[in-house]
Amino acid sequence: MNFSLLLQSLISGLLMGGIYALLGVGFSLTWGVLRVINIAHASFGILAAYGAYWALTLLHVDPVLSLLPIVGLLFFMGMGIHKAIIQPITRAREIMVASMVLTFGLAIILENTMLVIWSPDPRVLTPSYAGRAILLGDIGIPMTHLVGFGLSLVGILLISLFLHKTHIGKAVQATWQEPEGAALVGIDLHRVSRIAFGLAISAAGAGGIAMAMMYAFDPAMHNLWLIFVFLVVIVGGVGSVFGTALAGLLIGIITGLCMAWVPYHWINAITFGILMIVLLIRPHGIFRTGV
Amino acid sequence: MRSIWPGRITGGWIVSVIILCSLGILPLLSPKVYFLSLLYMVFLYVVLAESWNLIGGFAGYLSFGHVAFFGIGAYTTAFLMSTFHLPVASVLPISLLGGLVSAAVALVVGYPCLRLRGPYFAVITLCFAFVVQILVENLPFFGGVEGLWLTPTKETVAFQRALYYELMMGLMVVVLLVVRGIEHSRLGAGLIAIREDEDVAQCLGIPAPRIKLLAFVLSAFFPGVAGGFHACYLTYISPVIVFDVMISILIVLMTLLGGGGSWAGALLGAVSLSFVNEFLTTFVRAEIARILYGMLFIGVILFLPNGLWEFIRNASFKRAHAER
Repeated sequence: MNFSLLLQSLISGLLMGGIYALLGVGFSLTWGVLRVINIAHASFGILAAYGAYWALTLLHVDPVLSLLPIVGLLFFMGMGIHKAIIQPITRAREIMVASMVLTFGLAIILENTMLVIWSPDPRVLTPSYAGRAILLGDIGIPMTHLVGFGLSLVGILLISLFLHKTHIGKAVQATWQEPEGAALVGIDLHRVSRIAFGLAISAAGAGGIAMAMMYAFDPAMHNLWLIFVFLVVIVGGVGSVFGTALAGLLIGIITGLCMAWVPYHWINAITFGILMIVLLIRPHGIFRTGV
Repeated sequence: MRSIWPGRITGGWIVSVIILCSLGILPLLSPKVYFLSLLYMVFLYVVLAESWNLIGGFAGYLSFGHVAFFGIGAYTTAFLMSTFHLPVASVLPISLLGGLVSAAVALVVGYPCLRLRGPYFAVITLCFAFVVQILVENLPFFGGVEGLWLTPTKETVAFQRALYYELMMGLMVVVLLVVRGIEHSRLGAGLIAIREDEDVAQCLGIPAPRIKLLAFVLSAFFPGVAGGFHACYLTYISPVIVFDVMISILIVLMTLLGGGGSWAGALLGAVSLSFVNEFLTTFVRAEIARILYGMLFIGVILFLPNGLWEFIRNASFKRAHAER
């Protein structure tokens, strides 16, 4: 076996996995806290990527810098969307099912609006350092991948700190564990849900920008991203930031290794196959004990 | 299955028979092929939505991969027809065979998958449909991504359109009668109990795993047959056409729009949405049409959570009360 090929695919898989993790964390948060399965999650990532694309091509702002205002905007957008269409359905009995159909509609609207604005041509974010790479012996690591991975690490760390160290973050966790109990001790469930949803959307945005630095994207791409988000969240266990991060890295490594040795057209079959097997054997995730 | 047939002849039955008869003799009046094709597609979607209704509407198990069964039926039929150069007369038996293959696949897949509930079931069925599509695309004897061509037959286009129109209409009537029969049977009551609360249903002695599987297999059989007809109707199929994920999603939306869990709801949803779809794709730009579509999804969930049929029924119920 070729050792440097193995190491190379391990490293690029790992970098990839970090971004899957950042994309997945928000999805896991909305699923866990709000019981809402946000099919439109990855579309917000694409939206942010287009925002960064415009900032880069029109204003010549580096994606890492334009990320901050975009993520901030997405946060308020998420809060607005929650207030307008998510909150009214939280009283429904079948909230998960209702939310899937609802956010599917949202995803279609977002995708086609983006098609109208940006056309279906694939785009890629090419900041000034695109094309450069760090060489370690035989192994090359593209700068964009490294920056994207750094963004993901920082993003996940910030979300984790928010959940564990701030007052409102603890309220989010409490709602996650026991909504009625949280309401009893005086937590405003709607407000906490709104913040969690906004946070999830902005995490999706950051993940989308990081992803767009590595790979070309187009408005219809969110379907593929969403599959990976599902994979990461279900493997990691719904509602676990740590599990999601670990699952992201694991899946990144698996797909990285597959890309080196398996014919390209079978990779998606393997991805879906893993997801199906995990669902059947351990639907609550492989890093969690108990339900 | 007593309740499939009318206990007594009522106005509703007479109207349905009149509508069906006039639809049935339509091809004899040699209308434009466009109208036959349009109605054919409406019948197809009614078949798919009603079949999905059995598992998704009655039992509450949202299968997002139902197009897989449609595609399996289509591929089975197309494969047999093109390999053995079968004549048009064999469409019906071969399509039924396609339905049986779909049902067999549903049996094998449904047994483990139906243990999962809620969103997990939705995700695994979606994955299943993708895996089937990838398998078909990569197995050489199914023609790969290029698809399969059926052997051309000597019959005229008008005759073939009329033939598949009648076949699909017949299938639709059968499916409607079966779903209506199930709605008023012990099976239907059991499935609805599962939707309301599966654990309680099991405590009441409803054999949930068995009847879920039965509903799933039945709901896979009819799309398989419809897929067989559709393959012969198109005379060319490819994975992108018959495994299109949009079909899965469209039939879910149709049933939810009309109201899952009743045969009339799914029928209403499928017919109305087919026409809306046709109208939008004819008159509006595709992207705008899809944006309106997405708004329809959101509107249905926000304002008609129980579907159109429930809304109409409640409205007429209230009016009847007001008149008294």
